[in-house]
Amino acid sequence: MERNNNFLSVEDLSVEYTSEGKIVHAVNHVSFSLQKGHTLGLVGETGAGKTSIAKAIMRILPDFSAKVTSGKVILDGTDILQISEKEMRKLRGKNISMIFQDPMTALNPVMRVVDQIAEVIREHHKTSAAEATAEAIRMLKKVGIAEDRAREYPHQFSGGMKQRVVIAMALACDPDLLLADEPTTALDVTIQAQVLDMINDLKQEYDTAMIMITHDLGVVAEVCDDVAVIYAGEVIEMGSKEDIFDEVAHPYTIGLFGSLPDLNVDVDRLSPIEGLPPDPTDLPHGCKFCPRCSYAEEACRENEVALTEITPGHWCRCRKPGKKEAPHGNNH
Amino acid sequence: MGTIIELSHLKKYFNSPKGKVHAVDDVTLKIEEGSTLGVVGESGCGKSTLGRTMIHLQDSTDGKIFFEGEDVTRVNKKKLRELREKMQIIFQDPYSSLNPRMMVRDVIREPIVLAGKLKDDEIERETNRIMDLVGIEQRLRYAYPHELDGGRRQRVGIGRALALNPKFIVCDEPVSALDVSIQAQILNLLMDLQEECKITYLFVTHDLSVVRHIATDICVMYLGQLVEKSPSKELFRNSLHPYTKALLSAIPTIDIHKPKQRIALKGEITSPINPKPGCRFASRCPYACDRCAEPQKMEEVLPNHFVSCCRVRELNEL
Repeated sequence: MERNNNFLSVEDLSVEYTSEGKIVHAVNHVSFSLQKGHTLGLVGETGAGKTSIAKAIMRILPDFSAKVTSGKVILDGTDILQISEKEMRKLRGKNISMIFQDPMTALNPVMRVVDQIAEVIREHHKTSAAEATAEAIRMLKKVGIAEDRAREYPHQFSGGMKQRVVIAMALACDPDLLLADEPTTALDVTIQAQVLDMINDLKQEYDTAMIMITHDLGVVAEVCDDVAVIYAGEVIEMGSKEDIFDEVAHPYTIGLFGSLPDLNVDVDRLSPIEGLPPDPTDLPHGCKFCPRCSYAEEACRENEVALTEITPGHWCRCRKPGKKEAPHGNNH
Repeated sequence: MGTIIELSHLKKYFNSPKGKVHAVDDVTLKIEEGSTLGVVGESGCGKSTLGRTMIHLQDSTDGKIFFEGEDVTRVNKKKLRELREKMQIIFQDPYSSLNPRMMVRDVIREPIVLAGKLKDDEIERETNRIMDLVGIEQRLRYAYPHELDGGRRQRVGIGRALALNPKFIVCDEPVSALDVSIQAQILNLLMDLQEECKITYLFVTHDLSVVRHIATDICVMYLGQLVEKSPSKELFRNSLHPYTKALLSAIPTIDIHKPKQRIALKGEITSPINPKPGCRFASRCPYACDRCAEPQKMEEVLPNHFVSCCRVRELNEL
């Protein structure tokens, strides 16, 4: 994660939601950067703030309830949080695009799939309707959907095919930055394998920078170069894939690995992380993970813990980072 | 330990405008008492229908179901009530399977009340015991489902299934709606309960790493039929059916240094409506030949390892 030639850099980003008079601290001072052709995995549990980060970058947070309270999103030298909505519209779909999690709701049910893709193309390029349609069909073919199905409606497609339509749409204008929000969570493993292979191929072909949001560490292992682990809206560990998978340092990340049933190793019991993620309207003092952490000490509860570089490029937000003996492999 | 439940050529067809959907087609299997049988397959392969038909949530189209040696394929209402005390189900989605207008306590006590065997104070004690058993704090007894997180809701669903001390529980994707850290808590709970209460599980899931962790035996389903059945470790060490091999190779692993050789499957699962005789996997199978158009038989290829593929011996050099 060198600081030079970064295509995207997110600096000190914070997002708050207002809900029933309470302030939800969804994203808290998140910073990371990304080079062209690289993929960053954002990993975390439901509610950790992963999707809010992506929506803040796309500037599609709901106006009435969400607010970006601090930070910059610098894309190719420009802070896109400062530009006008009109300029942003030009970027969205063309330079930055997003693959949404649920293909069932991301498509317009009353519009033919080919027209939905052609619409994006015509929004950004001066082309005739016929040219846009031809281009849309070419994109569909690229994701493995035959021309004779292009004029069908979303309900005539299976889940895997709908997801491929959503991917074709996101790639239609050859974006520089692709935000993929759990693109394979709704799919079966064999289809997931097809989609991941396809994303990898397309990424190489276009040299796209990508942010892959997922809770599946297996998917991270397959497609990401770098990983940032998000907990309670903060980056708690960040580094190259090798740093995270071989030299895992934060107790929460260690817990995530312990919760996974491994296909190659026999264990009698899983060692889950006890308890639940904190309430984002009432975050704990000090380290956000300390209420669930088996190594927590008084000092963890009292003082904020800073994200520190433990080895070059490997950052961890913990006072005592590093692998430890399993503290509670068996606590029943 | 004896056999608790046995299916013989069980079929479940649904009518649709385009023809008959063969959701479960000629499934024969046995589950030993105290064990866990995992059923894996892609969405639409009929694994949930199999579980639901087994415990009479739907009537079967053909074939026989034996529970503790007794033929229970067709039962009257009174008998069904008795059966329901012994066979229960845990549903996939803890958000839609709990009545939003019932408090936690009532969800768990309803089956006990309906069974009509206990007095009021005993019902109260029993409800508390179940709540402790599945790890729901007593302070939540008057909470409504919307006030609980996914993991706690699933605990309530498990408590409801356990309320009448059943012998057999169908777990229909009980952890797939949960985050990994919570998923591990629930899997540990299910395994503890099995040990403590001697329950037999049918564990339906699409997640192969979960099933490997919890199941004693695994059967793999494809379009309504079983294609392979074996003890769990054997299946992962030595899978024989081409579909099982492809399925196992598709799982992303967390080992970043040993990338897997993936067997890419062409296309998607075909339609289960009026399927042709013969192997249903043939259209996606890299080894399909003429003989695959004939009906396939489930054979014991290795001890306790059953496969339904005419080329299995030749492909695995057995």
